[in-house]
Amino acid sequence: MPITPDHAGKAYAPTAPYEVTRGKVAEFAAALGAPLVEGGGPVVAPPTFGAVVTGPAWDVLFTDPELDLQLRRVVHADQQFRYHRPLEPGDVVTATLSIAKVRVRGTTEIITTSVEVRDAVEQTVLVADATFVHSREVGA
Amino acid sequence: MSTPAAEVGTTLPPLTVRLTRETLVRYAGASGDFNPIHYSDHAATGLGLPGVVAHGMLTMGLAARAVTGWAGPGARLVSYGVRFTRPVPVPDDGVGAELQVAGTVTAVDADTLTVTLDVTCAGEKVLGAAKVVLAGAAA
Repeated sequence: MPITPDHAGKAYAPTAPYEVTRGKVAEFAAALGAPLVEGGGPVVAPPTFGAVVTGPAWDVLFTDPELDLQLRRVVHADQQFRYHRPLEPGDVVTATLSIAKVRVRGTTEIITTSVEVRDAVEQTVLVADATFVHSREVGA
Repeated sequence: MSTPAAEVGTTLPPLTVRLTRETLVRYAGASGDFNPIHYSDHAATGLGLPGVVAHGMLTMGLAARAVTGWAGPGARLVSYGVRFTRPVPVPDDGVGAELQVAGTVTAVDADTLTVTLDVTCAGEKVLGAAKVVLAGAAA
């Protein structure tokens, strides 16, 4: 059965704890062409680093057999990060995804999701809201 | 260091960024986003795209540099949201694609400052409703 509007409200278990490291933040910053400056004070992850910790939760969505989605047929329509505090090296976080809304227009499925990222003491670090558009393969 | 003095209408220094397939491969590895439309022309054209396109999150991340570079480490990010209005094709032709990022302060209050970004590729807007809200900024 493919995804339907009835999947709105479906919530997934938190992802395995992920430790933010200075090395990963540095790799991510360098991939955006803005390497960390040595000795430049405390390391704060780039604004979109939230995608690194949110990614595993998105993967759970894209591989949920109940929804029957194919990652290669998914495009990102919108994204918002709301930070309660900066993500920093040493943070150990989990990401919990829920499906907020599903709209189906023919073979196009529009999936609105929210991921809450919490630290080791269960405080919210950030919330990442995203809309994905999945083009279902006809006849698949 | 905190955000430079800003008022509504203040423009940020513009940013130009070139993307090549190497940029996409690096971002895929750093982010863990291995959707093949970002490295395989076969997968991308199969979805009706002209060829490999940049990760929306890569475009979003690159555009943010215009704000973080201006604001400095003293400012704290409250929120950052965008709509991905057009894909950014990145051909494997040794040239790639170029993003132009312009930012304007569109709101200032006691605690926060909002920057609206205008992000284009080849003259076409690729991000919509792109807004960064900062706190700890000296207005």
